[in-house]
Amino acid sequence: MENTAKSVLYIELDNCIGCRSCLAACTQCGGHEERNRNYVYDVNPLVNRQTMPIMCLHCVNPACARSCPVQAIQVHETGAVLSAMVEKCLGCQNCTIACPYGIPKFDEEQKLMYKCDLCIDRTKDDIPPMCASVCPTNTLQWISKEELAAKKKKHTLDNENWVASAPYLENETNVRINLPGILQGTAKLF
Amino acid sequence: MLKDNVFPVKDIPNVVHPNETLVATHCCYCGMQCGMNLRVNTKSNRIVGVEPRYDWPVTLGKMCPKGVTAYQTVNHPERLTTPLIRDDASKKGTPDGFREATWEEALDRIVSRFKELQANYGKDSLSVFSGVSMTNEKCYLTGKFARVGLQTRYIDYNGRFCMSSAAAGFMRSFGVDRGSTVPWTDIPETDCLFVAGSNAAECHPTSMFRIWAVQERGGYLIVADPRETPIARRADVHLDLRPGTDLALANGILHQLIERGFADESFVAAHTNGFEETKAIVSAFTPEYTSEITGVAPDKIVRAAELYGKAPNAIVMFARGIEQQHKGADNVSAYTNLALVTGKIGRPKSGVATFTGQGNGQGGREHGQKADQLPGYRKLTEPKHVQAICDVWGIAPEEMPKPGVSAYEMFGLMTDKTIRGLYLVCSNPAVSAPNQNFVRAALRELDFMVCSDFFLSESAEYADVVLPATSWSEDEGTVTNLEGRIIKINKAQEPVGESKPDWAIQIAIAERMGRGRYFSHLTDPKAIYDELRLASKGGYADYYGATWEKIERQQGVFWPCKSEEDEGTPRMFLDRKFFHADGKANICALPYRPAAEEPDAEYPLRLTTGRVVYHYLSGNQTRRVPFLRDMCPEPFVEVHPALAAQYGIAHEDRVRLYTRRGEAVFAVKITEAIRQDTVFVPYHFGKEQSINLLTNDALDPMSRMPEFKACAAQMVKIG
Repeated sequence: MENTAKSVLYIELDNCIGCRSCLAACTQCGGHEERNRNYVYDVNPLVNRQTMPIMCLHCVNPACARSCPVQAIQVHETGAVLSAMVEKCLGCQNCTIACPYGIPKFDEEQKLMYKCDLCIDRTKDDIPPMCASVCPTNTLQWISKEELAAKKKKHTLDNENWVASAPYLENETNVRINLPGILQGTAKLF
Repeated sequence: MLKDNVFPVKDIPNVVHPNETLVATHCCYCGMQCGMNLRVNTKSNRIVGVEPRYDWPVTLGKMCPKGVTAYQTVNHPERLTTPLIRDDASKKGTPDGFREATWEEALDRIVSRFKELQANYGKDSLSVFSGVSMTNEKCYLTGKFARVGLQTRYIDYNGRFCMSSAAAGFMRSFGVDRGSTVPWTDIPETDCLFVAGSNAAECHPTSMFRIWAVQERGGYLIVADPRETPIARRADVHLDLRPGTDLALANGILHQLIERGFADESFVAAHTNGFEETKAIVSAFTPEYTSEITGVAPDKIVRAAELYGKAPNAIVMFARGIEQQHKGADNVSAYTNLALVTGKIGRPKSGVATFTGQGNGQGGREHGQKADQLPGYRKLTEPKHVQAICDVWGIAPEEMPKPGVSAYEMFGLMTDKTIRGLYLVCSNPAVSAPNQNFVRAALRELDFMVCSDFFLSESAEYADVVLPATSWSEDEGTVTNLEGRIIKINKAQEPVGESKPDWAIQIAIAERMGRGRYFSHLTDPKAIYDELRLASKGGYADYYGATWEKIERQQGVFWPCKSEEDEGTPRMFLDRKFFHADGKANICALPYRPAAEEPDAEYPLRLTTGRVVYHYLSGNQTRRVPFLRDMCPEPFVEVHPALAAQYGIAHEDRVRLYTRRGEAVFAVKITEAIRQDTVFVPYHFGKEQSINLLTNDALDPMSRMPEFKACAAQMVKIG
């Protein structure tokens, strides 16, 4: 089913500088109770400063929701995979294990899962999620479907596998990722 | 109004949470001055969070982790809320021994001790040491407070540790010091960016979306830095030079530009002086000779010159890496030479820019906080300039104090008892000054010290009286960002506890010193700003036409802005007129000199210092913010794996670093992103974790900037 979102979260991995503004910003979203729900990895900290954000990809057919025994994880009409409903969540952590990206976090005190809900209070009105709002490097972008199409056209590599999350990992995702090497196809100005 | 072709402002509505209002303002930290909305609870009238400010054209809602969490300092439990007095001087240098006092008692104590010192030792026995993380209004008033309120010649500011080399270099090259000749919106449209000595990704992260855009358009990025910083990681050419050799590298690149025919001869002939002398000096800097000094491979030097030379438009950008050296002003002029020789200046998308470190590093260096300078960049040594300011201040020229000494030199005068009293505002030299053992001893030597701040900083621990000042969001005023754009800071909540704005504190002291008649009309920041506008009128940095109303209406005004009708000057020198008397710029002939201290058998390594993305300056604010503290709780020393193998040390081992000035212990961070002959330590930490215990106090003869970026060091494994 086609989601109703006007825009998508788009990740340009090469741009990341590891500043972790996205983590700090996540705490500022209404309803996030000042807990961040994303990660930034140092890819190889002993070698260089390459970092990458690990964000929920909001899978079209999410393993976290499929594995939930009580249907606590709902998929919003925009395609956002929501945080577990507090009144339903058993704290079984099936979702944490099922997710191939390790996204759902677990609150040990409350025995509840919590995960990125794509700042649903913002994105349902086409306002960028907090992480993409503040991202100073345009690693995380909130772009229209037309902008996405233009990027796809520009960045398609020879093998056309430009979206890292499809089809090999968890099938189709609502969040799109550009493979590292975004500049490979860029023609230099001079 | 400026048009941004690459990143136009999108019309995104603000999110307003229930029971809250938004106050549009700017971040309190670096020179980017990112736009932000502070969330204010309408019941408690307190700041509770932050929302992006999508309509701010410079940053479009983007913030770094410091910006996102900046509001957390305002209602922080460690805020100073009442004046503190220390009766027992033996506990100086520690946080102990203070008692709470009333404002009356604190001000009485300050004024009686100030008067006593001046009666016994002369007017100049007092000093003022200030900063530029504060509004233009406060910066201006601080200069007037020192010279008219306290009547002392000794005032200087922490911009000497930050921006003074850029200021001196620009003054020599252009005749005016505005940190950027182009607005930041020009950056993504240029064809080649040459970034020298700037870890922009960590120090000015919200510049990065524009910098990456240059490459995404097919443009080139050249980075000169001893470390493979996040920006260097993706550069088309990374010039990985030895710390302290920047002048040789710039000369080497200029040599290549001239050799390979990239000089713009008609521009040079019509608009510059000094080309022939410079050409003669740089002729020795062949790629091989430059490589010998800098350690950068010759082909990289050639390639960098080729890319910069061929680019239809190019911007040279730099920061503390080249400026915090004992030849920082020369480095700035040497890099400015590249733009002048190739004529890539005085037009859109081409020019020179420095990344301003402190929030108001630009405005704060224009309004008379420097030892030798009066508002509007006027000089204390010029009788006409002195007269102009005397007319505004209502004093006679004979009453104007003579030029004093620079920031670091003031500590020398404290040591020899020339200076006996200090009023310290908005600065933390007990962390940020070089050669800390000397600086801390100098602070201990003072007969009387006052510190105005909103946290009890390491420097405040040396004070006899500590005054609780307001934070940036409890007052209003203007700052001038790294583009030269004057912007408005707005008040979001009432001051915490009994804290007061610095301008109000200084006026209260001036009144009690018997100098009230010069200050009593300055009843609010706007009145101070309007006097600043008058004082700057006709000066180099002319703010006269930049009223608060115009700043709000135009989303900032670039100086110079000389009249009500003038919209301001986003791009400098479009008429190809520079600010020297003959209208020409100076291409500067700059012989190379090495770092003040070169490695030797006893101290075989090069030590360099810098920032991490999570902390700001001395860390007095950011080390108290939980998110930022957790991300980087302590300093570290970056060591290359090959060097680590040589010393037998592993990741997270502890080592003791030594220089001729001091020693300190750091955890080891192994990384290939540092040169094998160099170690790096961030400087945001105090007490025994301060790398400034080790740094060199050799001063630039022109800017009086210490050499933070290069000294000789020894490393010893512990245990």
